[in-house]
Amino acid sequence: MPRLMDMGLNQLNSLLLEMATLSQEAVSASIDAYDRGAKGDEVRQMSNRLRSLYRQVSDLSMEMIARYQPVASDLRFLKACLEISYGFFRYGRYALDIASVLDMFGDLSKCDKRFVVETAKKTQEMIRMSVDAFARRDVEMARRIPDMDDVVDERYRNNLKATLRTKGDVKCSLSATLILRYLERIADHASYIGESVEYIATGVEPKLD
Amino acid sequence: MLREEMSVASEVDRVTEPQTNVPKPPQPYTGEGAKLHVRKLNAWYNRRQALFEIDLPIRPNQVTAIIGPSGCGKSTLIRCLNRMHELVLGARVEGEVLLDGADIYGANMDAVEVRRRIGMVFQKPNPFPNMSIADNVVAGLKLNGVKDRGKLEKAVRRNLEQVYLWEEVKDELHRSGASLSGGQQQRLCIARALAVEPEVLLMDEPCSALDPTATAKIEQLIAELKRAYTVVIVTHNMQQAARVADYTVFMYLGKLIEYDETALLFETPREPLTERYITGKFG
Repeated sequence: MPRLMDMGLNQLNSLLLEMATLSQEAVSASIDAYDRGAKGDEVRQMSNRLRSLYRQVSDLSMEMIARYQPVASDLRFLKACLEISYGFFRYGRYALDIASVLDMFGDLSKCDKRFVVETAKKTQEMIRMSVDAFARRDVEMARRIPDMDDVVDERYRNNLKATLRTKGDVKCSLSATLILRYLERIADHASYIGESVEYIATGVEPKLD
Repeated sequence: MLREEMSVASEVDRVTEPQTNVPKPPQPYTGEGAKLHVRKLNAWYNRRQALFEIDLPIRPNQVTAIIGPSGCGKSTLIRCLNRMHELVLGARVEGEVLLDGADIYGANMDAVEVRRRIGMVFQKPNPFPNMSIADNVVAGLKLNGVKDRGKLEKAVRRNLEQVYLWEEVKDELHRSGASLSGGQQQRLCIARALAVEPEVLLMDEPCSALDPTATAKIEQLIAELKRAYTVVIVTHNMQQAARVADYTVFMYLGKLIEYDETALLFETPREPLTERYITGKFG
């Protein structure tokens, strides 16, 4: 017999899966806009929707705690939901920040975007893994995300050092640095989501570095 | 064993198989310095066995809650802790319950003295109906031969203050104990149990007959009592265990399934059966 709480848990799961899909699309749209030199108008709408969904997840989680006093795996799921939904919300927010870089810097068609786009692909793979790990409660996949985070961090730091030495187009190097910074933050949140997936499944809290 | 019991027992064995992805920290506490230490305890009602090989160290000055479904043996266990089980016709016990290292079932142990050192509060408030509030408090002391009027009056005040009942009843100490509200009656019973200066207080579902306000008062009281006493509470209310207990025991079909710090048991239970019970996925 389903429990009363199961209806709320299913609703939370649906909200998170909607956020997962939307946040992936938002980051893809912003990177695509950067690569093609297009406007990323739809990214703002997606980011706003993600913010609204994040609030819904937060409100529903609090309501369920108040109503049902969940424990064990139910409690861990709710705790992780708050972290994961925040991660998805931040994906959307950084996607909007990337789109804002395009508005701020104008035409970037003459910039070499290969390094940023390659880093974006790695970050998008991390997003995909974090989403799949959550959807399937796949702990093994979740555990592979931090290794990729190290790669993205390294690329961000290397770019920063190169930017300090550059004598080329400031607009290109600065826009690339900003976008790489946002990608680096997205990668961090992918790692946090992976940790939350592991916490739901095993009860093991992530180690703090 | 009945067929139904056997099928549930095999379910216990099945679902208590180790789950590979859940960490299994070593049990850190083996009972050194335990106030009460239950060792290989078995209990019967005539031929029906109610407890199976219970091992449980109970830490001093802590609240230990025992939870589990109806018929799991939690009330039987708590009644074995002060030799009340043996008062039931046909009931018997095997194993040890060590109080500060001495077996309460040992040959030289006086059951009455054991029950003085390990007091009990019951599910239904049971003040002596023909006694006044004051006489209820000191009934145990009088039974033990205390006659000094001044000593008895001091005990009335001290124990009623201890349960936060003094201010509510100090002007009507000669009223019948039965005239109090349910929550007040239960606090009066706790005062009566404390008057004989026990070391351990056993509470068998002490709030199940009380409203939320009276329940909250008893829970606050339990939190204070552990400074001076070791408290063991049986409760059907898991949220109550989560609120008041430092350690929680989960029992099923007469077996101790899991014992851990309350926060750990309610957030990351090690046993799948515990997980299913506390999340309401049972049966």
